[in-house]
Amino acid sequence: MTIREAAESLRARRFSAVELTASAIARIERYNPKLNAFITVTAERAIERARQADSELAAGRDRGPLHGVPIAVKDLFATRGVRTTAGSRVYENYLPSADATVVEKLEAAGAVNLGKLNLHELAYGITSANPHFGAVRNPWNTEHSPGGSSGGSGAAVAAGIVYAAMGSDTGGSIRIPAGFCGTVGLKPTYGRVSRHGVFPLAYSLDHMGPLTRSVRDAAIVLNAIAGHDRRDPASSRHPVVDYVPDDGCGIRGLRVGFPDNFYFERLDGEVESAVRGAIARAEALGAEVKPVVVPDVAALNVVARVILLAEASAVMEPYLDKRDQFGADVLALLDQGCLLPAVDYVNAQRLRRRMQREFARLWSAVDCLFIPTTPNTAPAIGETTIRLGGREEDVRLATTRLVRGINALGLPALSMPCGLSASGLPISLQIVGPPFEEALILKIGAALEDGGVGIPPCPFPSR
Amino acid sequence: MAKARGLEVPDRDMDRIAGPLETLEEAFRPLAKDLKAEDEPATGFRAEETA
Repeated sequence: MTIREAAESLRARRFSAVELTASAIARIERYNPKLNAFITVTAERAIERARQADSELAAGRDRGPLHGVPIAVKDLFATRGVRTTAGSRVYENYLPSADATVVEKLEAAGAVNLGKLNLHELAYGITSANPHFGAVRNPWNTEHSPGGSSGGSGAAVAAGIVYAAMGSDTGGSIRIPAGFCGTVGLKPTYGRVSRHGVFPLAYSLDHMGPLTRSVRDAAIVLNAIAGHDRRDPASSRHPVVDYVPDDGCGIRGLRVGFPDNFYFERLDGEVESAVRGAIARAEALGAEVKPVVVPDVAALNVVARVILLAEASAVMEPYLDKRDQFGADVLALLDQGCLLPAVDYVNAQRLRRRMQREFARLWSAVDCLFIPTTPNTAPAIGETTIRLGGREEDVRLATTRLVRGINALGLPALSMPCGLSASGLPISLQIVGPPFEEALILKIGAALEDGGVGIPPCPFPSR
Repeated sequence: MAKARGLEVPDRDMDRIAGPLETLEEAFRPLAKDLKAEDEPATGFRAEETA
C-alpha cells in the first residue's frame, strides 16, 4: 500500500490512523530484532498522534495525504525530547529541545512519526554497520547491507514498516540505501529542503530527502517538506510547486541523456542490463534517448571527497580527543580531514564551481540523465572489496562512484528500482535533472513506474 | 604533521590515514594546477544574509 492508498482508505474509514499506526508498531516489534532499523521507537507518542489525526479527520480538519500516515526519521534529525544520537557514541544521550524543520513540517502535514532510524555512524559511510547500535540488515537478504548512511530508512520502508522515511544525502546516503533496498529515494536540489536541526556532516554537501515505496509518495513527502527556511543559511527562495505527478503523466518527446562515458563503465553485468532495460522502456514510452558526453566525473568525485573530508572534520574536531568513542572507519576519515591542507579545501571549492558550469551546459542538450544508482547490488555485511569490470575495488568508493559527484553539483536526483539480480537483490536507476527540476524528475519516474519499471514488493520476512 | 595539528594519532592508526590521504591528494593536486585567479570558490560570504 502506498501513502496515497493509505490516505484514501483513512478517509473512506476502512481503517483508522490508530489502527494503521498500531499495525506499524506491531511490525517493528516483530521485525526490528532482525533488521535493527530503529534506534528509538516512540510508540506511545505515535499512538497519541494517530488518535489526534483521527479526531481531526472526523472533525473535518484534513491536513493532506500524510495525515495519519506512519513515517520515521533518520536519527540525525532533531526531535524534541526524543534522543537524537546521529548513530554515534558522542551524542548517544543528546535530547534536543526543538524539532528539525523537516520534522516540524511533517508533523504539520499530519504524519505520525514512529521513531528514529539507525544509520552509519555520523552519516559518514555507506554500510550502516554501526559499531554502537549494531548493523542494519537488508530486508531483501539479511546477510547483506542495506547501504547507507540512511540504512535504517531504506530497511524500514522496504520491510513495509513505514510508508516514508527521512534520510540525508552527503555523498549518496539517500540514493544508495534506496537502491540497495529497492525503494524510491529522492535527493532534492541543494537548498530545496531545510537542513536546520539535522546534524551536519558536510555543510555544503548535505541534502535532506525521503525514501518511499513509490515515486508519487516521494513527491507527496517533498510537497510537505520543501520550501525556504530562514534558519538554514543555504535554504533557497526558489519557488516551490506541486511536485505530485498527474495520473497518466507522459514522457513523450522528453530528451533523456545517456552518458557515453564514465557512468556505464565498470558495472556489474546485471546492473547494466536492468538499467539499459529501463532506458529502453523510456524510449518505448516516447522519450528520445540521446547519447551525451559528461564532464570529468572522476575528477568531480575527487573534489567532492576533499570537500567532505575537510567539512566533516571541522564539524567533529571538538570531539576528536575522545578517540575510543568513534568507529575505526569514521575515525580514519576524521583524521584524514584534519590533515588536509586548507589550500586543498579552497581549491576544491573553486574546482567545484568550474565543474558546475561545465555540467550546466548539458541541460541545453537533454532534459535529464539516466544512470545507474550504484555499479553493484548490496554487498554482504562485512564485505570490504568487490570485483567490478575485472578490477577489485573498495566497497565504499565503488558504491559512491555514481552518486557522489551529484552532491557537489547540488542537482536533484531520483533513485528508483528497475530490476532484481538473479540472487534477488534490487537494482536501481538514477534520474538526474537540472537544479530545482524535482517536479520533472518525479514526473519521469512516475511515468516509468506507470509504464512497468519497478520490482515486486520486498518479500521480507518470508526470505 | 598530525602532531603539529594537535592530533594524538597512535602509530597503529597512521596507516589507515596516511595511505588513503596520499592517494587522494595525488589525484587532487593535478586538478588544482590549472585553476586561474578568477576561479572563485563555490561557497561564498554574502553580506546581505546577516542583515
